[in-house]
Amino acid sequence: MNENAPIVLVVDDELQIRRFLRTGFELNGFVVHEATTGAEAIRSATLQPMDVILIDLGLPDMDGAEVVERVRSWSTVPIIVLSVRAAEAEKVRLLELGADDYVVKPFGMAELLARVRGLLRRQMRAVSGEPTVRVGPLTIDLAARAVLLNDRRLALTPKEYRLLQVLAQHVGNVVTHQHLLKEVWGSVHVHDTHYLRIFVRKLRQKIEPDPDSPRILVTELGVGYRLAQPADSESGWAASAVEKTSP
Amino acid sequence: MDRTMLQRQKFAGLRRELRAVLITLCLVAAITAVLYLLILTTGLEHGSAAYLIPVLIAAMRWGIVSAVVAAVCGVLASAFFFYPPLYSFRIKDPHEVLNLVLFVVVAIVVSQLASRLRRQLELARRREIDLRDLYDFSRRLAGAFDVSDIHAAIEEHLAAVLQCGVVLFAGGRGAGQRKDLPVPRAVLDEVEKCAAGRAGAGAVITAGENETWLVRAVSPKNSEFGVVAINLGPAPPDSIEEFKVRTDAVLTDAAATLERLDVANAIGEARMRAQAEQLREALIESVSHELRTPLASILGAATVLSEAPALQNEAKLKALAQDVRDEAERLNNDIQNLLDATRISSEGVKPRVEWTEPADIIHSALDRCRVRLADRRIRLDIPPNLPLIHVDPVLVRQALVQILDNAVKYSHTGSCVAISARAGNGHLTMNVSDEGAGLTDNEQARMWDRFERGERHAALTGGSGLGLWIANAFIAANGGVIRASSAGVDCGTTMTIELPVKQATVPQLEGDDDE
Repeated sequence: MNENAPIVLVVDDELQIRRFLRTGFELNGFVVHEATTGAEAIRSATLQPMDVILIDLGLPDMDGAEVVERVRSWSTVPIIVLSVRAAEAEKVRLLELGADDYVVKPFGMAELLARVRGLLRRQMRAVSGEPTVRVGPLTIDLAARAVLLNDRRLALTPKEYRLLQVLAQHVGNVVTHQHLLKEVWGSVHVHDTHYLRIFVRKLRQKIEPDPDSPRILVTELGVGYRLAQPADSESGWAASAVEKTSP
Repeated sequence: MDRTMLQRQKFAGLRRELRAVLITLCLVAAITAVLYLLILTTGLEHGSAAYLIPVLIAAMRWGIVSAVVAAVCGVLASAFFFYPPLYSFRIKDPHEVLNLVLFVVVAIVVSQLASRLRRQLELARRREIDLRDLYDFSRRLAGAFDVSDIHAAIEEHLAAVLQCGVVLFAGGRGAGQRKDLPVPRAVLDEVEKCAAGRAGAGAVITAGENETWLVRAVSPKNSEFGVVAINLGPAPPDSIEEFKVRTDAVLTDAAATLERLDVANAIGEARMRAQAEQLREALIESVSHELRTPLASILGAATVLSEAPALQNEAKLKALAQDVRDEAERLNNDIQNLLDATRISSEGVKPRVEWTEPADIIHSALDRCRVRLADRRIRLDIPPNLPLIHVDPVLVRQALVQILDNAVKYSHTGSCVAISARAGNGHLTMNVSDEGAGLTDNEQARMWDRFERGERHAALTGGSGLGLWIANAFIAANGGVIRASSAGVDCGTTMTIELPVKQATVPQLEGDDDE
């Protein structure tokens, strides 16, 4: 097995789930560790550095949310929550607690792999100090504060750039409305979702090749926004055979 | 101390009476003066009938005692001032004696009538207040949803009727809730005893210097109504018996009222409702978990299998793995529909509204249906700059997914599904048109019912018949309406979602330093 293979910790009390996740990840070149309880998960995470943790919410000994909170207190390891609970409020709560992403069960392996790879890329960029984020035809140079679409430089207002910057820092993962509002407008405005809607609309006009069918700045309904993974957007472009009529 | 208080009370009553008599005397004097002046200036005789005025006033305002005083004084004044010999109480003419006797009789009868009228007025007013209390009480009961609401209503009702501080102990309710009225330890002990049915007719507890508490079961027959502790304040010992009798009367009345309004039943029903709701929620949670967890394994395993290197050259096996995945996804949708339907019928839908970009909802719905829509042509017509809408985006998306699902179900592979959005007249409309089976009039009338499935299609497509019913409920919860139109059989169907746009209430950006 490859020395540099990424290590994923799967925390779930269901044997069948762990089994298919192990097979799926191993086929894609990951090393898989398993834990069946929250306590075991926390112990594993302290014993060996993990590259990503996948955690189920309904663990026998404690709520998955508690594990997220405790791991997050000392580690920046990417955490993805896997849960059958699909309510948007629940997703927002876990993301605010420190989870990096949320995948509702049941899910396909390809979707999960895309999310995990996105997180690993982000982690790698953070380590290497790579200052540019590429999403399809869009390039965001965080060091030079420059945004290029098809190598053509875009003129963004300071707030538009700030919004894009926060999303780029979490590229591939959903960022909650509250987090974006706090980062861009300050904590007084965390409930003014309409600010976001209006600025996202303006931003899409500038950064999306086709602003009416956004593929780069994607909405997660009821939760937040996501700067789409190149992998996601490619499959999205391939799958779409949408005709458009102009009004 | 108590004795002096009682004396003070009696004294106050006496003083009131004395004041009334004094004012009556003044009235009689004033009438006498006026009559005297009239007799001097106009030569009028026998004005004694005018003394009926102070008699009437006294009877209406202060009662029979003052009225009799007025009548007697009136007779004396007439005899003294107006009947010969003047300035003496003697009366010469026997006719005039008869007149005065008649006057006294009339005065007494009139004052009797007047004071009775006064009593009746007071009674009517009192009854009106009682009725209002009772009306308020029954209105609060009607609006009460759970047991604690009902208990709060009983407590307030008793406090209003008894005009004392009242604390009701029932079903976990008690002193803790009443910050304004702390209940002494001894009273709490007595309440416990009373609630356990060990106390007799009710106990009187004297706590501290100025507090006397009366502890009684609200109804001897029904323990559901709880136990009341009534703060009588600084009540004198010999008047406690009196208070007790009065309280008992009020409580008997109140208990009868509670019986009549079927409060016991209401309490039972509220309790059952709460339990049923809890049970249902636990059931939904557990069904959702128990059904989805194995589905997650099935779907996950199927996707791993279909991508496995060993299967890449085995087209048939790969197709099988994909079938497993598709069917698992369909099952998952059906479970979601069932859960949504349960949610709608059990608790109603509570939307989490936020300002939403309409185009986002449409794209998200299309994304959800991507696999199902793969072999249809999609035509999108969404103008830029649609107004933001204030809705629960997830509910609207779910409704749209149901509609798209139907459009796929009842149309042919390769046909076109057109989605458009328009704003105007305070509404945002989203249209989904297909080139499918269309609707007959009969189908149009029944399509929104729960478990309704078109008979023409029952054999050809699967489904629970819940989809449109759910879509309708979700759109209605957002203040919108959903409509269907069709030119007829095989002419396609257009489904329209209409949502309110509150353009005027879209909050403005403040401090927008970007522009």
